[in-house]
Amino acid sequence: MTKPAHMVELRDVQVQFEEKKVLDDFSLKVDPRERLVIMGQTGSGKSTILRLILGTLRPDAGSIFFKHFEITRLQRRKLQHVRQHIGMVYQYSALLSSRNVRDNVALPLEELTDKSRSEIDKVVDGKLELVGMKDSRDLLPEELSGGMRKRVALARALVLEPELILLDEPSAGLDPVIASVIDELIISLSETAKVTSITVTHEMDSAFRIGTRMAMLYQGKIIEEAEPEKFKQSKNPVVAQFLSGSTEGPILEGSLDAITKK
Amino acid sequence: MIQANPPVLVAQGIGHLARTFFREVGSVFWFIVNTFEETFERIQHGRVPFRAVSFFRHTERAGVDSVPLVGLVSFFLGLTMALLTGYQLQRFGTQRLIPGLVAIGFTRELGPLLTGIMLAARIGAAFTAELGTMQVSEEVEAIEAMGIGPLRFLVAPRMLALVLLMPCLSTVSNIAAIIASSLVCKAYFSIAFPYFLDLVKDSLLIRDIITGILKSFLFGLLIAAIACYRGLTVKGGAAGVGTATTSSVVTAITTVIGFDTLYNVVYTTFYPT
Repeated sequence: MTKPAHMVELRDVQVQFEEKKVLDDFSLKVDPRERLVIMGQTGSGKSTILRLILGTLRPDAGSIFFKHFEITRLQRRKLQHVRQHIGMVYQYSALLSSRNVRDNVALPLEELTDKSRSEIDKVVDGKLELVGMKDSRDLLPEELSGGMRKRVALARALVLEPELILLDEPSAGLDPVIASVIDELIISLSETAKVTSITVTHEMDSAFRIGTRMAMLYQGKIIEEAEPEKFKQSKNPVVAQFLSGSTEGPILEGSLDAITKK
Repeated sequence: MIQANPPVLVAQGIGHLARTFFREVGSVFWFIVNTFEETFERIQHGRVPFRAVSFFRHTERAGVDSVPLVGLVSFFLGLTMALLTGYQLQRFGTQRLIPGLVAIGFTRELGPLLTGIMLAARIGAAFTAELGTMQVSEEVEAIEAMGIGPLRFLVAPRMLALVLLMPCLSTVSNIAAIIASSLVCKAYFSIAFPYFLDLVKDSLLIRDIITGILKSFLFGLLIAAIACYRGLTVKGGAAGVGTATTSSVVTAITTVIGFDTLYNVVYTTFYPT
């Protein structure tokens, strides 16, 4: 099997949860320094793609590559090593509730590097400053708002200087101003630190602000893939309906009839 | 429609239960093996497997904080045991056997068993609930996504804390029960404290103490493994955490009693006296 020249590649991936086929012969390529945004309905399998890339979920079939590593074939130890080059921001932040902000951000450094405490503090302060959270370093996650948690999660994801960052609904549930702050952070990271990013979202404004390439996931496949401006002009009825937010179109076909009949 | 034969249905039910049982046993076994593997891999790389602070936090919670409960329950049981057996033995004029009976009973059997049951309920439930909550809030997955082994980071310190503290707590249980029985012996059967101590020393063998300690190590490992396994395999949000916690306590208590029986059968086969 040929090794890919891309940062990330998924080849003919299939994932099925019980009866539901979530990804069906799904393929995707992401080039270095790209900011790919994957859009799709809730439950369409967007987060599943991120879990597959991280290797926390195994596909039923197909191959997943991160650079020249085939994630699907890696042994646990090697996979743990590869994951250190990937940062992940979860939809609900997934901060460790028993640790304060400083300790959450410092965790990967404490566990995976030989840095001294003062060196760790220096890196942590730098990352917290980057996301505007330096003054909150002693607070516990429960004392933070949703937007603050997202920013801490972003700082934690960046602390090992990853080459790839995966963002699961980074602006979901945030007010427009904080959502813009998060979006700007992602863009500046890509431009200054040359980080490749894959964002999954169904927030239109955020998606078009962040993305250098957009992809639409529908019924387990990418049905449209283009640069933001071209994506907006897509003739695909599913994409057009998704972007307009209309109830008329193929997305709710069948299910809308069921709703109106009730 | 073909009606299923009742014996066939019973056999199917037994088969299903047996399959579930062996699958669970296998899963817990591999869970322990993987935890050891991850931990020793880390040590091989010249790094500490987990932070000392984390280990001591669990030893304090599992050990120090459990001393009053273990001590009190064992004290009351020691009192009851001495009193009830004492009146029976007194009828035959053999009440001087009470000290040995309580000492051997607790050191070999009741000390580790009672401590195991109490820790399964108190600490096993806490471990399952804590890890289960971390699992449903994606904290465990976040740890894994960072490239940190969750078994080494989350399970190993809890497991080690419980394995090391079980013998200590069993000893507390034994001492509390022996003190309680000495009070009963003095008050009801006129056995003075020095004579009581002599009778205990005469009846108790090193073998009994070693048996109790070995059992305690084993029970500690089983309780920690079952509790952590149940916590890390929680599914279904808050309700799932509740179900897993109940299941963890029931499984751990049953397993401790089951292993105790198995241990006694094997032990008495090799050392019948």
